[in-house]
Amino acid sequence: MGQAPSPRSTIAALAALGMATSAAAQSAAPATTASRDLPVTGSAPQVCALQDGQIQPGGLINIAGTSGASLQIEQFVDPQTLAARAASATVDFTAVCNFPHTMRIESQGNGLWPTDGRISGPLQGFAYAVPYTAVVNWGGSNATLTADGKVRQIVQQSFAIDQPAQGTLSLRVEIAEGASNVENRAPVMAGAYADTLRIFLEPR
Amino acid sequence: MRTSVTPLGLAALILPLALLPAIARAQTATSTKDFAVIGTVPAMCAGGTLSGDGTFDLGVLTDTTTGLLRTDLAAPDKVLVGSFCSTRSTLNLAATPMTAQGFTATAPGGFSRTVNYTATASGWTTTAASFDTAASANTAATQIRGTAFTGDIVVGIGNFATGGGQALRLVADPNYRGLVTVTLSVAD
Repeated sequence: MGQAPSPRSTIAALAALGMATSAAAQSAAPATTASRDLPVTGSAPQVCALQDGQIQPGGLINIAGTSGASLQIEQFVDPQTLAARAASATVDFTAVCNFPHTMRIESQGNGLWPTDGRISGPLQGFAYAVPYTAVVNWGGSNATLTADGKVRQIVQQSFAIDQPAQGTLSLRVEIAEGASNVENRAPVMAGAYADTLRIFLEPR
Repeated sequence: MRTSVTPLGLAALILPLALLPAIARAQTATSTKDFAVIGTVPAMCAGGTLSGDGTFDLGVLTDTTTGLLRTDLAAPDKVLVGSFCSTRSTLNLAATPMTAQGFTATAPGGFSRTVNYTATASGWTTTAASFDTAASANTAATQIRGTAFTGDIVVGIGNFATGGGQALRLVADPNYRGLVTVTLSVAD
């Protein structure tokens, strides 16, 4: 003889039946609309690009021009006093960085130093390196690098740009009249002088 | 004495009685009866199955020397195989531009975080449906087919353009994403 279901189990059975009926009704309903989603994906990698510099005619003092990537000083010293002559130039670079980044400018020698190995050290009363300054404007910020010629070493300046930037990176190089790494207006020892400036646009 | 009837004997008695109506019916004119067999076919549409993984993966979007949008962007078409509608139907195509998912702020001057494109869906209607994500209105996005149909729908994308102008550069982001949606519906 079967046992009569308790009221609770009866209600549960009815509820289960109701759910099954509802599910059957849903699956039986014809789909009048069918839809498919197709994602479209891609990426834009971090890119910084710095084109070749273009020397700017405005503010050009005692500069012969550029030779490749070199800035040529027309008359490095005063022929009468042998003290360094003032020289300055502005070089513009078309540049872009599509992400927040850092601009860094680096002087290899911390001044203009003789490229001739025969000049090995200081000589009393003579300048053996010529200081200069380099000012960079980029992305609404600027930095001044002072290469004082006191010690031959790498010096650098940098600043952060909080967003992508594109446009013109401007570099202004200035040698003051009579610039010297010893006394001001000291005569400069004979030789060819040079320094290398590097500009970096790089991830922070 | 009580008479006993076996089951076999009872059957023998009943049989002649049962044959009588059959003989009488055979003597009347032919009579027919119709029974209707009915059913319904509901109006319905199914989207078919996708070829491949269903994603238009364009890879690197920019020329890495300039930061500008590549001019040779392309992705293989996707095919919705075996789509069908059992009645007159509407194919609707919609698409959203590719946007940088990580760089959500307004792009700074000279930059963009959007790539527009045109999506097309062909094979279902005489005129392919198309949707330009840069357009304010897309009148060709909805096409109607007047008959029931089963077949493949080929979905493609092209005509890529930087949002805001081709001179703008894309902000760096590892994930640019848009969406193409194909919808088949029973037409009214």
